[in-house]
Amino acid sequence: MTNLNAVDPAAVAQDAHLESADVVIGKTTIIFRRFLRNKTAVAGLAIFLALTVFSFIGGFFTQWDKETIDPFSIGMRPSADHYLGTSQAGIDLYAMTVEGTRISILIGLVVGLVSVLIAAVYGCTMAYFGGKADKVMLFILEALIMMPALLVVAVATSGGAAGLKRDLPSWLLLIIVLLVFSWMGTARLIRSMSMSLMQRDFVKAAQYMGVPPRRIVWRHLVPNIGSLLILDITRGVTAAILAEVAFSFIGIGIKVPDVSLGVLIGQATSQVSTFPWMFWVPLTVMFLLTGSLAMMNDGLRDAFDPSSSSTGKAKKARARKITAEKKTA
Amino acid sequence: MSSETTTGATEPARHGVERLHVAGLHAPNDAVLSVRGLNVRFNSENGVIHAVRGVDFDLMPGKTLGIVGESGSGKSVTSLAIMGLLPPTAQVSGSVRLKGQELLGLSDKAMCAYRGNELAMVFQDPLSSLTPVFTVGTQIIEALTIHHPTMSRAAKEARAVELLAMVGIPSPKDRLKAFPHEFSGGMRQRVMIAIAIANNPRVLIADEPTTALDVTIQAQVLEVLHTAQEETGAAVVMITHDLGVVAGMADDIMVMYAGKPVETGGVDDIYYNPRMPYTMGLLGAVPRVDVAEKASLVPIEGMPPNLLHAPTGCSFAPRCPLASDACLDGEPALAPVAGAALHRAACIKSGSLGGSVDVHGVFAAPPVAVSRFDAIPRAERSTVLQLKDVRKHFPLTRGALIKRRIGTVKAVDGLSFDIREGECFSIVGESGSGKTTTLLEILEFHPDQDGEVVIGGLSNKQAADAKTKGKMRRELQMVFQDPTGALDPRFTVYEVLAEPLQNVGMDRPAIKKRIMELMKLVGLQPDHVNRFPNQFSGGQRQRIGIARALAVNPKLVVLDEPVSALDVSVQAGVINLLDHLRAELGLSYLLVAHDLSVVRHISNRVAVMYLGKIVEIGAVDRVFDNPRHPYTRALLSAIPVPDPQLERTRERIILQGDLPSPLQAPKGCNFATRCPVFAALPPAKQEKCRTLEPPLEAATGSRDQQFACFYPDGELDEDMLVVHETVDHHAP
Amino acid sequence: MLKYLAKRGITYVVMIFLTTSAGYFLAVSSLKPALLEQERIPRPTPEQVANSMRLKGLDPDLSPWERYVDWLTGIVTRWDWGRSPNGAYINAEFGDRVWISTRLFLASIILTLVIGVALGVYSAARQYKVQDRVITSYSYLAYIVPAPIAYFLVQLGAININESVGDRIFFVTGISTPGLAPGWAQFGDMLAHYVVPTVAITLVGWGAYQIAQRQYLLDNVNADFVRTARAKGLTRNQAIARHALRVSFIPVAQSIAFTIPAIFAGGFFAEKIFAWPGVGSWSIDAISLQDVNAATATLAYGSVIFALGAILADFATTLVDPRVRVQ
Repeated sequence: MTNLNAVDPAAVAQDAHLESADVVIGKTTIIFRRFLRNKTAVAGLAIFLALTVFSFIGGFFTQWDKETIDPFSIGMRPSADHYLGTSQAGIDLYAMTVEGTRISILIGLVVGLVSVLIAAVYGCTMAYFGGKADKVMLFILEALIMMPALLVVAVATSGGAAGLKRDLPSWLLLIIVLLVFSWMGTARLIRSMSMSLMQRDFVKAAQYMGVPPRRIVWRHLVPNIGSLLILDITRGVTAAILAEVAFSFIGIGIKVPDVSLGVLIGQATSQVSTFPWMFWVPLTVMFLLTGSLAMMNDGLRDAFDPSSSSTGKAKKARARKITAEKKTA
Repeated sequence: MSSETTTGATEPARHGVERLHVAGLHAPNDAVLSVRGLNVRFNSENGVIHAVRGVDFDLMPGKTLGIVGESGSGKSVTSLAIMGLLPPTAQVSGSVRLKGQELLGLSDKAMCAYRGNELAMVFQDPLSSLTPVFTVGTQIIEALTIHHPTMSRAAKEARAVELLAMVGIPSPKDRLKAFPHEFSGGMRQRVMIAIAIANNPRVLIADEPTTALDVTIQAQVLEVLHTAQEETGAAVVMITHDLGVVAGMADDIMVMYAGKPVETGGVDDIYYNPRMPYTMGLLGAVPRVDVAEKASLVPIEGMPPNLLHAPTGCSFAPRCPLASDACLDGEPALAPVAGAALHRAACIKSGSLGGSVDVHGVFAAPPVAVSRFDAIPRAERSTVLQLKDVRKHFPLTRGALIKRRIGTVKAVDGLSFDIREGECFSIVGESGSGKTTTLLEILEFHPDQDGEVVIGGLSNKQAADAKTKGKMRRELQMVFQDPTGALDPRFTVYEVLAEPLQNVGMDRPAIKKRIMELMKLVGLQPDHVNRFPNQFSGGQRQRIGIARALAVNPKLVVLDEPVSALDVSVQAGVINLLDHLRAELGLSYLLVAHDLSVVRHISNRVAVMYLGKIVEIGAVDRVFDNPRHPYTRALLSAIPVPDPQLERTRERIILQGDLPSPLQAPKGCNFATRCPVFAALPPAKQEKCRTLEPPLEAATGSRDQQFACFYPDGELDEDMLVVHETVDHHAP
Repeated sequence: MLKYLAKRGITYVVMIFLTTSAGYFLAVSSLKPALLEQERIPRPTPEQVANSMRLKGLDPDLSPWERYVDWLTGIVTRWDWGRSPNGAYINAEFGDRVWISTRLFLASIILTLVIGVALGVYSAARQYKVQDRVITSYSYLAYIVPAPIAYFLVQLGAININESVGDRIFFVTGISTPGLAPGWAQFGDMLAHYVVPTVAITLVGWGAYQIAQRQYLLDNVNADFVRTARAKGLTRNQAIARHALRVSFIPVAQSIAFTIPAIFAGGFFAEKIFAWPGVGSWSIDAISLQDVNAATATLAYGSVIFALGAILADFATTLVDPRVRVQ
């Protein structure tokens, strides 16, 4: 090559710059920036955060709680005293919505996070060991997919006075049951992804360099599956919230006296025409919750896509600007 | 000389027939395909891409035009524009006339009367170009039905069988019912050709028809195209990046760069008397399989221009060693070259260029790299890698419930060779010959292997503990074929290069220093270390791959098709870099490549593999200049050479069929089923080939050449020899 | 091919057996019908309850394993799935309800697939146009609404239409009007009852198919083989219709395996909301009545449906993709 040993003055300057190790731009930062550039995703994140904050501190703005009955206002429309009105029994809807949102978000987050964790461990184990272990584990996984989760939920949460029900609040029971039935799809996806990654040249390159398997898994497999994991967390959270609402709605999930969005919506169905706000308020909150998650999911997918060209260009420009700023500083 | 390609819309009319039509012995109406001022623009997010800028040519009946260019030069877009297959968002302007009928501006429906009928096309990738869910017969018959709706079912089937036979598919009648996935790549490309010629087209456009195929299969497919052209009398537009492929076939050549024809003319003009620095560079960038003399390849620095911006000067100027200020002032038009009316070049300096100019001097090709080991006799150099009788057999099983063994695939069958310090050893052969398995056996060495692999004096039999393994690994590094797949897309270049260094326990400052060294060593800008692989071009990515392999100072670098994914001009730079590194660092290479020209250029020794065995091995010049094994001879003769006169006259061995399935591997000589010598032998001698396995024996009169054949001097079977004595049409 | 299907069949039989057994143990250990019985008025003595349970094969004093063996023996030897705490025979109850559920699901499955795939093709053909945006946005919306709430909203809408028209156009609950004479009148009545639940299930279900089919077709619209077909002389639309469409069905066929169980689960909700006496609503009622045998039987039914879905998906895939056909 003609330019093989040619010394580029700019490169020399950059050399010294690099020595001080401050030009390495973290990938997390880049992905974060790409996410921030997606307006829908940011809106989704904002709504989700607002709802979460609301579910924790919303209770301080009212004197009512989810149990106290206001005997003077039964089935009231929204008013200054009861921001969102009261139920047929005279319980403040605002207080119940705050509580219900918290339970729904809690169920969603716990199930979403833990099920992805289970899926990652299970899927990677299958891919890593392969052979017989893989076959047996796959069989268990498929058997679990075959179990109609709905019935198991019903059995578990309506077990009369027996067993678990006595000791655990119904939301915890629901979390456990949902967890058992929510990780299989992701696990299967992670298994096939890890298996195909193991065949990729860059993993082979690391193997041929003698990089130990543990490190290959940590440095090459996990980051490349990482985006899928995060996407699956948002997807899992959405699915868990939807499942909670669906189950509670027909009366087999969360049971009174615990409240959740599903319980509130379900209870209100019988009086939609009389007390419409009792139905529409929790429903709207649920839509905001699942909708915001779907918007975030969309933005995350774009941000993680290393081949997305338009953002890549913007990223370069921004990176250059930042280095320039650092230089002048 | 009658050239059918006339170009230059600016030229005043001489014959007064048509202002646009400039010269040539044919009247303009004789041209079966006539393209004028073809421009194609695409809207992209970043702006308007001007992909094709003013292409003009006339194609005469039965003639062949070769369009040559690198990826992004607009050659494929040109062909799709002629076919009317560009997406509707593309803006196409100019004129495309088929037998005088204007095609541009026709609706999709109106174009359908021409497409597949008078105007047919063969695409690049045969694996994805056939619909996977329909039988081959259905797809051929569909082509007939569209243009001959009244044809009877039986007649269409008969025609389909005839077509399959014409393109050389054995037992065509049964194969009609086969699905594309049951065919090999070469066979699928034959089917594509059969579909294209089904309705006797007047113009056949072939877009890189052999790029994805093995050389032997490439030779077969080119032969089929030739037959197809003879049978149908179609004019052919052959689009390729490989100057060798069109050298023997084309009557005229058009070289494209940045969407524009930069040089056009008769094939001999272009190859022997190029007048445009880009053409000269391309010709100099290609290694020759038939030339022993070691000269550096001509590297064309830089990258093709961005087609988003209208060029203000010559679009090649930024990469051109001859560029002067005048070159930046307006884009040069395609103008006739002095002394040859039909030869045109778009260069203001074309007058001072030509066959006599030394392209190596112009492009400042680096001097030939000489390794300090080259002077030491081979026997005195130490061995960096040795294979002793390595075998890899896979059991082949069938059955869903109970697996039963139905045979053994001998992917590697008793391989022995050694690589000395400072030398480049290559393994060549068709895909399926066991090259890749050999590499895997070396790279994935373990004590339980069948055979011995000795790396830097340590044997795989000792490699039970991690420490010995680590030591062996450090001696041996790999460069992969696909530079994109070999780099973790989530790693910056810094991280990519740091990985092997961290692995050997280097500390951070030392790693940083070493990475800077490596970047310079492979010709990359050190300040690019924070970029991600997708921000680099293919050639640069391959340089990163090379830098990673060199990070821990290995003795031996395994190169798996290191340049096959790269463009010709980029390829030259990487080959030169590899040459240079071998000399400077005293490296040894183990190279696997299907391109024998690259092998010849870079290697010292070569082994030819066929079905898991070495059939010929020795010094590269010995083996290539005096091949003894019929398979080596066939491989070499299949390589097209960028020399039109040689290509037109030389005798070519066309092997029959594909590499046999390993299950059908015969008892005696593996190659007997396809051997041109075997086919010509008397039955008594054939018996020997069929029953005995020829041993690898030294050739008489040579110190470094061994081959495995009983009858190396046997006559070649006439049926497998092809000479195209169609030189006449180029006579003055 | 047959051998392959047989092998898959055996695997699924084993799986059904395992899931059903696991379900039985879960039900036996958490459902205690005897406790419910004791709340009756007049309050029976524990002995009376135990006796009555023993007669129905639901002896609460036996260990879960002993009850499992009894239950399994009954199924294997007599195809007897046991009795409910109220004395009803599961086999008899089940027979009626399976038919009701299957009819509902079958209509919905076919409609969901057909409408989903058709809209997917339609929206892919009009990519980024208004029609595409509307259809695809609807599908994303369907994704974030829980099925029972969507059914409820459909029901609400039907009620509103009825009210605004002032006549009962739609039946929003039940499967038939009692007391109609058999014949055309009864058949028409049945259809009228079908409309709302079927529409509800289909409206929620097709979204996933529309998105998937649209994506698969768009992936194939610019495939090399479509270009080849156009180069032969087909127009773009003909080439897509004849070549890309068929190929894009392959992944859709594979996903049938998951639709059928999904529709089945959706059907549970639908039966509950539209008050259809099918397997779904029965199972949920059975569970609240602490009915071990009924719960297990419905669980087995669910597993069978899943296995059928998977086998059907295999079959559909081999039908559209010659590459997986076993020679």
